[in-house]
Amino acid sequence: MKLKDQFRFIRQNMKKNRMRVSMTILATAMGCAFLIVLASVAFGLHSTIIKENLESPAVTQIEVHGLNDGEGNFGPLNDKNIESIEELNGVKAVTRQRDLSMFTYSIEEYSQSASTVQSHFPSMTEAGIEISEGAYPKNKNEVMVGYHFALSFTDPDAEEIEYNEFGVPLEEYRYSENLVGKTIDMELKTVVDGKETIETVPMTVSGIFEAPAREWSQDYSVYITDEKYNELAAIPGLTGEFGEIEKMDYYQFATVYANTLEDVKPVVADLENEGYAVYSIVSEMAQINMFFNVAKAGLIFIGTIAILIASIGIFNTMTMAVTERAPDIGIMKAIGASPKVIKRIFLLESSYIGLMGAVIGIIAAYIISISVNLGLPFILMQVFPEDQLPEGFTFSSIPLSLILIAVAICLAVTILSGVRPAKRATEIDVLKAMRREL
Amino acid sequence: MIEVNQVSHHFRLGKKGQQSRLDVIKNISFHVQQGEIVSIVGRSGSGKSTLLNLISGFIKPSEGEIIISDEKVSEFTESEFADFRLKNMGFIFQNFQLIPSMTAYENVELPLILKGVSEAARKQMTIDMLKTVGLEHFQGHYPSELSGGQQQRVSIARALVLEPPLILADEPTGSLDSETEQDLLRFIQKLNRERGITFVIITHDDEVAKIGNRTIRITDGELAESGVFV
Ligand SMILES: Nc1ncnc2c1ncn2[C@@H]1O[C@H](COP(=O)(O)OP(=O)(O)O)[C@@H](O)[C@H]1O
Ligand SMILES: [Mg+2]
Repeated sequence: MKLKDQFRFIRQNMKKNRMRVSMTILATAMGCAFLIVLASVAFGLHSTIIKENLESPAVTQIEVHGLNDGEGNFGPLNDKNIESIEELNGVKAVTRQRDLSMFTYSIEEYSQSASTVQSHFPSMTEAGIEISEGAYPKNKNEVMVGYHFALSFTDPDAEEIEYNEFGVPLEEYRYSENLVGKTIDMELKTVVDGKETIETVPMTVSGIFEAPAREWSQDYSVYITDEKYNELAAIPGLTGEFGEIEKMDYYQFATVYANTLEDVKPVVADLENEGYAVYSIVSEMAQINMFFNVAKAGLIFIGTIAILIASIGIFNTMTMAVTERAPDIGIMKAIGASPKVIKRIFLLESSYIGLMGAVIGIIAAYIISISVNLGLPFILMQVFPEDQLPEGFTFSSIPLSLILIAVAICLAVTILSGVRPAKRATEIDVLKAMRREL
Repeated sequence: MIEVNQVSHHFRLGKKGQQSRLDVIKNISFHVQQGEIVSIVGRSGSGKSTLLNLISGFIKPSEGEIIISDEKVSEFTESEFADFRLKNMGFIFQNFQLIPSMTAYENVELPLILKGVSEAARKQMTIDMLKTVGLEHFQGHYPSELSGGQQQRVSIARALVLEPPLILADEPTGSLDSETEQDLLRFIQKLNRERGITFVIITHDDEVAKIGNRTIRITDGELAESGVFV
């Protein structure tokens, strides 16, 4: 029997029970759409997070938090460590910082208190860290300031200061001129033999850093050169917020910049080998990927249950079809239809139902997914007007792989559910069928 | 053409565990030559249909062997027998056994479809066959829209369409009135004469049996006599 004729047969058979067949297809389509839409959330959120991370400049950064001393204790990094890291393959630059303390800075009648941090500007230049205005310091009396520092000089005598949602004072309350090139005064307190002296050290703002990539993180610091750090930290009796300041010959914090995204992994591996405690978005992403892959698998599994439920419908439909057609099948067998052909016809019929269900389910899933992606931001905006979704946010995404998985599951389940009825069809007894005893 | 060698068949009746055995065919042997019309007669319940069903392969003999066209069909698997039936046998049944949801045309076409004949050739052969049985004007009718005689002619057309060398008929006139019966018998003789088709016809009616060149009588599952009508 030709395949074409088998299809014709199936079509004729299904026409006889159009309602039942279309209900079964509908159930399968619903199961399939359910699976796809459910899993598409994990796919969508995953791709959103990956995109966000890959687009962030921080993606080539590796934070180094300390070095294992061999006994499980992590200590800070010194110049020698930094040098050895700089020599690793794939490393572009290593920036490093040391905290001095909080100090009060003032310009005209405005002032603010800010943490003062030594920063290694040459390596920052090399790392390509962008600054929003001005240039990196050329001598020890020049400083860089954080983006938010530049916005936070306020009048201490002002009655009441209003701040915006990020904690930055509103324009009318702050020093409004551009700080670049201006001199700010740093207030130094020294305590020697119980005697407190206060002097001011003028510093010139050479540039302002970009605002941090994450909108919730703010940069209120003042960044000074190595030379200035050494000079200030050496002042006897210099007292910061937490008491006398001791000069550090190590770095509290270092960030390694890899040349390219591909270099991050090997550099992280090298650093870990040498005992550094490191953190990078890329290694975090491995965990994120793992988490999302587990979530995807779980959701696909739940979706599969929906298809399994639909397959009960297919099983019923096919069983009824076999029962109804038993006399015809008996006659066909009598005149020479082989059991193989009969089995194939019924398997084709159940696969056809599965395939139609999958196709309709996929179309429905796309429609649902697109409307959710369009509608969700709108709904969230109504419900939480103050929250903003990150740009490029996709709640639900249906990649080809998900379609293929869904079709495979759908077809496998539906064909399997047709196997029993198809086998029953082949087992129909010719004589009983012709006596209409079935 | 057909060799039935020491064939016995029994059914098991009743519930499992307390079954009784019913011997229906008891050590029967006979031959059918090519081109013969053989009638098998016997009273109702004597085992005629069971014998024909054994030859048709709808049931397997408990003992003995059946050889058709030099093939030991009693050892065929179900699907081997199905293919063999399609190529070598045509069937005429007492109650026609047409597929009710198919038109006369579609019923006749069915064996051609099963054999994988191309659509164009199929059309030609089906129409020719319907003409042969005189039903070309009824091709679009469903079995329920045809008289008993017409239905039986559709079923003959279906049996003949693949031009099998052998046709097995179980009480082919059982549902027909005597006039249609005579038509059918004449048609069978014509097919036998013109196309050399071998017929094995079961009947409980001695009148009908007369169209055979030879009659085999079965009594209680045993071969009673085998005679030749002249
Ligand atoms: N499938 C079956 N199961 C049990 N007994 C059967 C079956 N088919 C036929 N018989 C029995 O076998 C005997 C012969 O039946 P059958 O061959 O139909 O006779 P005939 O066709 O000569 O009237 C009968 O007694 C009948 O009841
Ligand atoms: Mg009978």
